[in-house]
Amino acid sequence: MKITGYRIEQYLMKMDRAVGDSNLPEGVDLMPGSILFLDTDENVTGMALGYGGGGVATLFKAIEGADPQEAVGLWIKMNDWVHKGGNEGEANAALSIIDVALWDLKAKIAGEPVWRTLGAREGRVKAYASGLDYCLSDEELFAFYRRMAELGVDGGKLKVGLDVQADLRRLGIMREALSIASAHPQLMIDSNEYWSPKQAVRYIRKMEERFDLVWVEEPARRWDYDGLRLVSQQVSAAVATAENINSVADVYPLIANQAVDVVNVSALHSGVTGCRQIAHLAHAFDLPVSMMNCQANFMAQIAAALPNHLSMEVVDPGREHCLKFDNRIEDGFIMLSEAPGFGIEVDEAKLAELKANPPKGKGRFPFPRREGAGRYIVPPAPEEVPWRRGP
Amino acid sequence: MKITGVEVTPFLPPAGGPKSHADLHRGAARSASCVVELSTDAGLIGVGIGSEEVREPVHRIATALLLNEDPRGVTGLWERMVNGESRSGGGRPRTDAIAVLDLALWDLKAKARGEPLWKTLGASRPRVNVHVGSPGIPASDETLREWYGTLARDFGFRGAILRVGGDPEADLRRLGLMRQALLPHSPEPALMIDAAECWSPKEAIRRVREMERQFDLTWVQEPARRWDFLGLKRVSNGIRAAVCAGAGLATRCDFLPHFHHRALDVVQVAHGSAGITGALQLADAAFGFELPVAIAPSPGNFYAHLAAALPYCMSMEVVDPHAVQGVFTTDVAIEDGWAVVGDRPGHGLLIDRDALTKSSIGRASGVGRVA
Repeated sequence: MKITGYRIEQYLMKMDRAVGDSNLPEGVDLMPGSILFLDTDENVTGMALGYGGGGVATLFKAIEGADPQEAVGLWIKMNDWVHKGGNEGEANAALSIIDVALWDLKAKIAGEPVWRTLGAREGRVKAYASGLDYCLSDEELFAFYRRMAELGVDGGKLKVGLDVQADLRRLGIMREALSIASAHPQLMIDSNEYWSPKQAVRYIRKMEERFDLVWVEEPARRWDYDGLRLVSQQVSAAVATAENINSVADVYPLIANQAVDVVNVSALHSGVTGCRQIAHLAHAFDLPVSMMNCQANFMAQIAAALPNHLSMEVVDPGREHCLKFDNRIEDGFIMLSEAPGFGIEVDEAKLAELKANPPKGKGRFPFPRREGAGRYIVPPAPEEVPWRRGP
Repeated sequence: MKITGVEVTPFLPPAGGPKSHADLHRGAARSASCVVELSTDAGLIGVGIGSEEVREPVHRIATALLLNEDPRGVTGLWERMVNGESRSGGGRPRTDAIAVLDLALWDLKAKARGEPLWKTLGASRPRVNVHVGSPGIPASDETLREWYGTLARDFGFRGAILRVGGDPEADLRRLGLMRQALLPHSPEPALMIDAAECWSPKEAIRRVREMERQFDLTWVQEPARRWDFLGLKRVSNGIRAAVCAGAGLATRCDFLPHFHHRALDVVQVAHGSAGITGALQLADAAFGFELPVAIAPSPGNFYAHLAAALPYCMSMEVVDPHAVQGVFTTDVAIEDGWAVVGDRPGHGLLIDRDALTKSSIGRASGVGRVA
């Protein structure tokens, strides 16, 4: 079997609700998306979801005519291909989306789901709820986590960082909403690199006076292994980080310097192959990994096969309008089906419609950093978030 | 597909060259091995080969944890076996049993897909750099010359490893013989030495530095005890060559201090303890640390299937490059100093029933239905 061609579709999606964090507390409801189709000479097409896509044309030369079964070998070839320029930005987006499509093909050829191709025993992954919720009112916050708790989800991750009193109140709301799923819900927070390391320590310790936190995510800059380790040494919670890095090479200094307690992984970390490499490196140090949120929860297929996977982030903001898939959340777990590949089909008519008439809404890509980050806190203004506007 | 049975057949491998190292100058007796076969309701049989010691734990683990499971879920089953056995003790026979069963499971996974294991693992360049193993210390200088010379001539080896650690002057002389034997086929042969943990770290530094006055060594294998990450690191700091070790370690967890302290320059992966799943995990961890991987010898050199799928494989040791090896044949060919994997479904080791019966020691034992 040979790879004969590709089609990359870049489009704009409008989600059913806005998502926001400490850098964008007002939230956005527009997101860019990409879908890659890899064609073969045997009437099987690989499909992958991702971002960007400008780099695919260049990288496709490395895999054209190759056997798509050889996903790992092609990953090595692509990694070598981008050697001088580095595996960053568009290059990483392209490498990742191509690798995901290759694994989709590898699984489809065997007529099995990706989780089985990767050797998982069952297609089942523990989930935690993540509201990306700085832009939600207190009522909307409760409603989101309660809806997830009704599906058995017993963990939640709150966006924090700009107002410690509000964050404490909202942590209580999240815990209350999740309490129907567990007497001791797993509470996590995420400040998206807004703080300096010592700011993080003060802020988190204050929260830990009232709440038992499982992990704090990105409490310092993604590459700052000294700062991340400092935070880990000075708070009770685990430090989670790495969602914004490119590959296993970027995880090396974090692990070698004991700067990370939970490694955030995703298919954007150089694809399925790169994601698995990171998980294996973490496993050698007995560190757990946690899969990042994504459209249609497709990365749960990878998470199911990782030996050290903790739980996967589920946001579910309604961003699958041009996709068909049949995984579901049950008793707190993402349950994957037996559908071949990643089990996702593209509604071509809907996609064409989205491309012809791009939706209007709030979009701020490529997601800028907020004023004051790393130095001083700029609390959200009433026009930014509903929870500052009063009843 | 479901696993329906397991059968273990012990056998004595045919006598080959002398096998020994610095701790066993006179050579050891041939060690008993066994063939492990997992049968399935699809009629496919997965094969693993291990030491005879794994017989009991293989039965126990397969019966308790693998029967009625789908072998395609092999990485999940690896975790199931490792976790299920985490408090049982049992040392090497237990970890080795898990590795043999893991191999048989991957064999089944590849056979279910009707393809060779390297393809199931996703490799795209089935060519692996290899070096030739040592005939051992009791070999005379003449035997040594013949061993390296013939193998280099017939199979194109560009690198070789020598067992050392006995008489320092003899080691130097024999290193020269090994190099001479390789020279007609390679202008700059890769020279490795294996001390098999017989030195103290400072002794290793003295000996290796002496050798390095005359020879450019690629790596020094096990120059200190396997667990002594401080000593291994000390040796690496004191010599030019890379320090290679790891085959003696039983599990992924044993490598943690070595990685953390960067005590190894080349991470050695052995089929006997790592199987395929554990080896993939270890090799990815090494890759994260930018450390190349060396592959220990394997029956029929089947580990070439794994090596081809690793991002950073440096070289695989070959002690027998022939296709017919006693009770089995392999389709891994050694050509021009490379291992080239074949297209037989699975890992490519085919059991020769007649030869197995002749070499068999004791009766086969099993549970469930074996086709």
